[in-house]
Amino acid sequence: MPLIVYSLFFISYINTFTMQQNSLAKAGILMLILVTASLVSWELYVRSKGYDTSFDDGPPLWANKRAQVYEPADKSTVFIGSSRIKFDLDIPTWEGLTGDHAVQLACVGSSPLPVLEDLANDVRFKGKLVIDVTEILFFSLAPPNLKNPKENIKYYKEQTPAQKVSFQINRLLESKLAFLDKDRLSLNAMLDKVRPASRKGVFVFPLFADGFGRVKYDRQEYMTEAFVADTNQQNIVRGVWKFLGEVGKEPPPTGGKLDTLFNMVKANVDKIRARGGKVIFVRTPSSGPFLAGENMGFPREKYWEQLLKATGTPGIHFADYPVIDHFQCPEFSHLSMPDAVIFTKEFIRILAQEKGWSFAKMPAVK
Amino acid sequence: MVFNSLTFVAFFIVMLILHNLPFSWKVKKINLLLASYVFYAAWNPPFILLLWLSTVVDFFVGRALYNQQNKHKRKLLLVVSLIGNLGMLCFFKYGGFILENFTSLVNLLGMDYHPAKPNIILPAGISFYTFTTLCYTIDMYKRKSEPVKSMLDFSLFVTFFPHLVAGPIVRPPQLVPQFETPRKATQQQLMNGLFLLSIGLFMKVVLADSMLAATADSIFGSAREPYGALDAWTGVLAFSGQIFFDFAGYSTCAIGVAACLGFVLPENFLYPYGAIGFSDFWRRWHITLSAWLRDYLYIPLGGNRKGKFRTYINLMITMLLGGLWHGANWTFVVWGALHGFYLWMEKIVQGFSRVKVIPISAAPSGEVGVLGVLPAPLKTKTFRNFLLAMVTFFFINVTWVFFRAPDFHSAWMLLKSMFNVYPKATPSLATLSIIKVGVIVVFMVAFHWLMRDTKVLSVAGKMPWWLVGLIWSVLILLLVWSQESSSSFIYFQF
Repeated sequence: MPLIVYSLFFISYINTFTMQQNSLAKAGILMLILVTASLVSWELYVRSKGYDTSFDDGPPLWANKRAQVYEPADKSTVFIGSSRIKFDLDIPTWEGLTGDHAVQLACVGSSPLPVLEDLANDVRFKGKLVIDVTEILFFSLAPPNLKNPKENIKYYKEQTPAQKVSFQINRLLESKLAFLDKDRLSLNAMLDKVRPASRKGVFVFPLFADGFGRVKYDRQEYMTEAFVADTNQQNIVRGVWKFLGEVGKEPPPTGGKLDTLFNMVKANVDKIRARGGKVIFVRTPSSGPFLAGENMGFPREKYWEQLLKATGTPGIHFADYPVIDHFQCPEFSHLSMPDAVIFTKEFIRILAQEKGWSFAKMPAVK
Repeated sequence: MVFNSLTFVAFFIVMLILHNLPFSWKVKKINLLLASYVFYAAWNPPFILLLWLSTVVDFFVGRALYNQQNKHKRKLLLVVSLIGNLGMLCFFKYGGFILENFTSLVNLLGMDYHPAKPNIILPAGISFYTFTTLCYTIDMYKRKSEPVKSMLDFSLFVTFFPHLVAGPIVRPPQLVPQFETPRKATQQQLMNGLFLLSIGLFMKVVLADSMLAATADSIFGSAREPYGALDAWTGVLAFSGQIFFDFAGYSTCAIGVAACLGFVLPENFLYPYGAIGFSDFWRRWHITLSAWLRDYLYIPLGGNRKGKFRTYINLMITMLLGGLWHGANWTFVVWGALHGFYLWMEKIVQGFSRVKVIPISAAPSGEVGVLGVLPAPLKTKTFRNFLLAMVTFFFINVTWVFFRAPDFHSAWMLLKSMFNVYPKATPSLATLSIIKVGVIVVFMVAFHWLMRDTKVLSVAGKMPWWLVGLIWSVLILLLVWSQESSSSFIYFQF
């Protein structure tokens, strides 16, 4: 209502003061006023509803981070994997304690294998690499699980100078305006929230809760405090995992298929190590029925242990460390921000004290 | 860079400021030229060398063609220009396609020949600027107009950033005279330009990218699968809307941007889905290309001056090459062939009716379309004509299947799906996608029908200014709200 009054006031104002100008000029002025007023109102409204700035986690942001993997090995660490490492690694904690720059290249709902291959074939990459293992995604070569990483890599390789400039301008806007949240507040996202039921048999991806998966500029994801406090929102996301568990009935790979996958991983890890790089696997926490399902589908001794053995690579499994083996993930699969801080601290301690990793602020313990 | 990017917004603001500073006209033209090179280099800097090569060669060859008196030497110069321009186009755009077909042919003849796949990157807009420079040298050969006196003006004619990568395809007499005298947009021109730019961006970002692209991609991406008729038609209609909003959106942006700087570019789209018949469609769809093909291919082939049979053949050759111009794939050739066939049928039907299409030679200058101007009975908005327009739209949609499908198998499967050959196929599209496509396509067709004899600026000029302001605000707000990233325009790949 105030917007209408405001607009009517300005219509009469423009009419009086722009009599001599052409009608499109007057329309242009009205448009500027209406657009400015609407966007300011919209920004205030969404902030009042608890939205904060969140970056679009699309190929431009990924490509921006991908370009950072060439920082000196003693000053940065690269992370690849699925969404868990994006939630569970608290980047400010990591960078504060280690003095290392964390380059987050994990992709939500995806296998890390295309990114591993990309890094392995990039002779300029000689740094430290942490590979997050979420079994259901890691041990899968199903095309949908490879799609996003492949698109990101393609975008990075073909990115034009104009796209790089656009990214920097967009970054400035996204860091200030909460309504520029493509996943929750874009036209399509809003239409999705009111979508009618579809015909029987149509695959429709369920919606995530609003407070899940906000993205920071460093690509860390987090769930809002409201989400952590709201079991309704958590149940929505748990429902998404259940839905995905039911539709993705591809059996875990075994035998020759699994050996092929191990060989692929080993070949890529070896390439990185041959150049002086360091690689480690990490199994980040999950809980409840999700963890039970993972243990049943991907028994640790057949998959995790075999992965470490076949590739000759060290690994850190959350279940082996009492400080981090007890987290209750709000939606069974990702850590809340306070737990991510605890996990990150312990992860750094294990890397430095048990795995011999050194960081700018933290020399290795012999 | 693309119009629908924040880089372009920054670039355009700088250009507007520079163009309105009190510099000499020559300095302003140099600014425009350098800006056009920056605009192009923002994709892939090395390809700017091709643009320079094409510009320099055609400037000097064009002048020599005009001045040379010796017939043989003139022909030789024309051949040099044609080989230079078309050779470049053939190498970059059709190199892989030619090699692939050659390989298939020799394999068919029993030879075991398997060359490595060439990795050729297509320079953005090569088809457009090649046609722009080609028409200059052909005009010089025919002495249709005077050669451009200054290298600066010629370079700007070829490179002027609003039309450079996806048209409208301009002719020398349309643009070169505009560079000869100082130009600055009047307030009216500036506002018209900004309004058109807003409409163009809305068409591209909101309608093509945000609302229609995902549905079209989903159906054509798995077109080898059987679909029910509803899914198949929704996918094809989504592409029908996407290709229009994408390409007409680009042209509208280009015309708007040029207007903001004080220049006029030719219209490229006139509500093609309101067309009655296929010759009318080609008067309204990609107008500058169909005019180019008419003047530099159809008429030189003999047009309709050499009897009925040759007219039909010339028409088909024009449409086949027009199809091939769009992409190095046989599916595009079939798309062109279908349009050629439709035009044949239309001519045959017209041969039996009292309604005669005015022959091309009688068309007044500036009229476009392969066949000539629209007969008077088809100019009225009767229900019968509306039904004819819908029949035309139906057949146009059939052609889009070949245009968008990656191969013939997919195209054939999708055509069968459209005609309900697989009624028991698993439903594919969500109800929301079907609603989005349905609403947009219905509005699009209605809009094209109602607007077919007018232009958006004329309509806006007759509306109350506050209503235009309100509509303009909605367009901009939806543009911001859609939050689509700066994706390329479909026609860049052509």
